Amino acid sequence: MKFADFVSAGSIKAGLETDTKEEVIAELVTALVAAGQIREEDNDGILKAIMKREELGSTGIGRGVAVPHTKHPSVERLVATVGVSQEGIDFNSLDGEKVQLFFLLISPPDQPGDHLRALENISRQLRDDTFCRFLKQSKTPEDIQQLLEEADNNQFVS
Amino acid sequence: MQIVVLGAGTVGTSIANLLCLHGHSVTVVDSDVDYIRRVNETLDIRAVSGSASQSSVLFQAGVMGIDLCLAVTGDDEVNLVAASMSKAMGARRTLARVFAPVFRDMSTFDYQRHFNIDRLLSLEQLSAMELARGIRNPGSVTMENFAKGELEVKEVGIDEATPSVGVPLKNLKLSTGIRIGSILREGKMRIAGAEDAIQVGDRITLIGQREDIDEVTDVFRKTAEPKIGVVIAGGGETGYHLARSLEGERCAVVVMESSEERCEFLAANLKRSTVLQVDATRRAVLEEERVGSADVFVACTGDDENNIMAGVEAREIGAKRIMSIVGRPDYANVVGKLGIDLAVSPREVMARQVMSFLNSGPVISRSSLPGGSIEVLEIEVIQGAPATEHVLANLPLPSACLIAAVMKEDYVRVPGADDRLVAGDTVVALVDDSAVEDIISLFDINGA
Repeated sequence: MKFADFVSAGSIKAGLETDTKEEVIAELVTALVAAGQIREEDNDGILKAIMKREELGSTGIGRGVAVPHTKHPSVERLVATVGVSQEGIDFNSLDGEKVQLFFLLISPPDQPGDHLRALENISRQLRDDTFCRFLKQSKTPEDIQQLLEEADNNQFVS
Repeated sequence: MQIVVLGAGTVGTSIANLLCLHGHSVTVVDSDVDYIRRVNETLDIRAVSGSASQSSVLFQAGVMGIDLCLAVTGDDEVNLVAASMSKAMGARRTLARVFAPVFRDMSTFDYQRHFNIDRLLSLEQLSAMELARGIRNPGSVTMENFAKGELEVKEVGIDEATPSVGVPLKNLKLSTGIRIGSILREGKMRIAGAEDAIQVGDRITLIGQREDIDEVTDVFRKTAEPKIGVVIAGGGETGYHLARSLEGERCAVVVMESSEERCEFLAANLKRSTVLQVDATRRAVLEEERVGSADVFVACTGDDENNIMAGVEAREIGAKRIMSIVGRPDYANVVGKLGIDLAVSPREVMARQVMSFLNSGPVISRSSLPGGSIEVLEIEVIQGAPATEHVLANLPLPSACLIAAVMKEDYVRVPGADDRLVAGDTVVALVDDSAVEDIISLFDINGA
């Protein structure tokens, strides 16, 4: 599975404006609403579900990366967005480092296979240091979009 | 019915005993030969020794073609594996007990679906739900099995002439997540219809998600309900679930927990509760923290004796209602005498839950609304069932029936007239006794 299959280009945020865990997640969910990927009335329910997942253990997987995710019946297919924070945000990450890269994913409950493939793709690509570094340096959504395309064409992971 | 219980600890043994008393044929499996010997000596049931996660043992226990398999060993992983295998080997329904909350969260991985288990139950959460109901809504129906406690049924007495009185229900502007289920008037309970109007003196039941229900309750009252002050002694799984389900508009919650590490977790995850790092088993602490002014004191420290002691102290200091988790069955007699108003036994809560699963056909669970002739049915929607053929408005539903909620996975929705049920949904329906068979036949592929 490729980024292009589930990341909504119109919702990518290059300069996240908020600075706490919950606010960042809320900002990304709102971006998906603005891009027409999820309905406004589902905003709160989805935010709550993502926060509930964070209670079980942070999705900050280290090296400045977090992958907040949940399943929600209001979406009919996988939707995701990417956010980059210049300063980094305290996310209770595994390694204690601040998080700069956010991949937020919402899947329909009845497609557990696709959900896992998407998580796997995100994790695998983000293992590449160059990809991460370029993403963190991105200044515009277009930059991020281009990097995702390059990753889809296997230009980072050998 | 044929039932296999995996695990002969306190939970497994007491449920096996109860099922046996109800005339079911029960087999118990445990890897500990001493447990098996004890079961053989004390109960009239078949016992097999061996690991519940081994196919040879499950085969000996006869899980093929049984009606229900309960995996209640002390080990989450064994329960998952054994319940999953039993289902694959032909048990009609399977339940597994899990302790760790992560197994019941599907955000990253859907355990229930992956292992094909009908329900994952947390004893701690079930106990917390029982306590929460005792605090928020005494006398309400057991609904903890629906949507992991998200769905609630609440009885509201109409004592005053609010603007909602006399208006046909279809014109009442209630939140979309709420249904009025039944109306009790002059001693007769019936399912509410769109043309009905509420009168002063009625008692009605509201069905919906917890938060919506609290909001809607105010529509039927002139004066807002007073805030309830709750002190929870012990911030383990039970205390945490309890605080979570109470905190909010109606309850001011204080959690007492002695472990610093656990307090940090609680403080981070309970946004609207006060977390105190103190030892709640000491009287001086209870006095200092003004437990005497609490409306409800709940003891769930994980130790029966400590719970009972703390409860007695809290009562003396002046707390109004005392609740406690009491695990040991032989303590049941004492607790009432000591002034504990509600003692919740995790085994009994689990047993009740299990009993509601002993149904045939598409019915998953079945319970009665208190004091009435109305049943709450939880029904599985099967591929090809007559109920999937039309949108709800066009289904031949009897008038004494209300489809109160539809669940897909963990998510609840209150269905509208043009909603259509699909296979995999679970329906919660309120049905008058007289119409139960008609409803079941709509969901049964053989019954039509």
